[in-house]
Amino acid sequence: MSSLGFEQFPDYQVPGVSHADFSPYESNGGSIVAIAGEDFVVIAADTRLSSGYNIHTRTQNKLFPLSNKTVLASTGCWCDTLSLTGLMKVRMQSYEHTHLKTMTTDAVAQMLSITMYNRRFFPYYVSNILAGIDKDGKGVVFSYDPIGHCERATYRAGGTAGSLLQPVLDNQIGYKNMNLNGEEPPVLTKDRAVAVASDTFISAAERDIYTGDFVLINIITADGIETKELQLRQD
Amino acid sequence: MFLTRSEYDRGVNTFSPEGRLFQVEYAIEAIKLGSTAIGICTKEGVVLAVEKRITSPLMVPSSVEKIVEVDKHIGCATSGLMADARTLIERARVECQNHWFVYNERMSIESCAQAVSTLAIQFGDSGDSDGAAAMSRPFGVAILFAGVENKKPQLWHMDPSGTFVRHSAKAIGSGSEGAQQNLQDNFTPEMSLKDAIDLCLNTLKQVMEEKLSSTNVEVMTMTAEKEYYMFSKQEVEEHISNLA
Repeated sequence: MSSLGFEQFPDYQVPGVSHADFSPYESNGGSIVAIAGEDFVVIAADTRLSSGYNIHTRTQNKLFPLSNKTVLASTGCWCDTLSLTGLMKVRMQSYEHTHLKTMTTDAVAQMLSITMYNRRFFPYYVSNILAGIDKDGKGVVFSYDPIGHCERATYRAGGTAGSLLQPVLDNQIGYKNMNLNGEEPPVLTKDRAVAVASDTFISAAERDIYTGDFVLINIITADGIETKELQLRQD
Repeated sequence: MFLTRSEYDRGVNTFSPEGRLFQVEYAIEAIKLGSTAIGICTKEGVVLAVEKRITSPLMVPSSVEKIVEVDKHIGCATSGLMADARTLIERARVECQNHWFVYNERMSIESCAQAVSTLAIQFGDSGDSDGAAAMSRPFGVAILFAGVENKKPQLWHMDPSGTFVRHSAKAIGSGSEGAQQNLQDNFTPEMSLKDAIDLCLNTLKQVMEEKLSSTNVEVMTMTAEKEYYMFSKQEVEEHISNLA
């Protein structure tokens, strides 16, 4: 490690004594995708939980409904995901008790950012995407980095296959670098958002060994949350 | 009467056998020595109007501040001990900013009143377990909170016991009894903001010892459009001269 560490001086080494590094983090894999429409938002996550070449489970839900208008998808170090989502639930419950109303998606987004930044120097090792209906009834997606930077977006991919999925969304949802002959891009429908989200996972499962088994899809509208499931490659 | 009470006056948090906290009751009495403040909530917005006691011609009237901004969407009128009021207002401001910082939204008026109330009842003999100094007595202040929430105006009142209640119209301070009666007789839920300003000023005119003028009253409105808006001396003058 250090050029002046005791490892550099054989005289000081004790036979049989080894130094164990503190490694509190683990990547448990998984991918998440969220796509916002005019009055709905689709959020999806695969269900594989793994560690290196081992699979812990093929049926782990990574979508956390925080209210009937807000869902948090979280991957990365699974114990950090559990700790963070647990803390979010506690804070939302206490908000409901002190302010006598349910937190809006925008409020949850800001609180999540601050909760993560509180751990600036020992961060939660997680990739978060928050999806929900905002106070104007519109679908919104908020994406985060592990220390809490928050960005409002209309579509976002995260997790181990995030870098594989995002360009697909840029093309299929964002219509980036496309010649539309001066026409406006078509309005996104709920069915198309679900279809694109499903397709991105099918293609990610082809290349990313940490993404696979099933996709769980939540479709959030003003009426509530609808859940769908789709099978992926299991190898 | 006061002799029988003295036994239970020693501890601020000691109940009398009749179940009363005398120090809190005395604090409520202290408000009645303060200057009169009136708040009226209409559909268009809330009006706060207070009397300023200019006890000497050498006093600079503008340095007496009885209506203050807590956040863009919350304003306060206070009556009682001004130094105590400062502490409570400071808490209200900090809580509003903190709420905005953590939740990226405006604090509700009720939550703001709740936060101030929590501070207001922290008097007692011993301090916090974390070593913070104790407050030896209740705050001698009553507060009117005027605010807008989801474009709708609200008026809240808090007294030294920490009790906070929402009102359509409320008067606090020395002239509060007469003023409250006048508000009760003349307030209608349909009245316009202009009518409410006139009712505030007319009520103050009735209960104030001095003659109503632009130097000894402060007027503020809280509306969805303009939010916290303090009237200038000229605007107050205009309203006073147009009073029937």
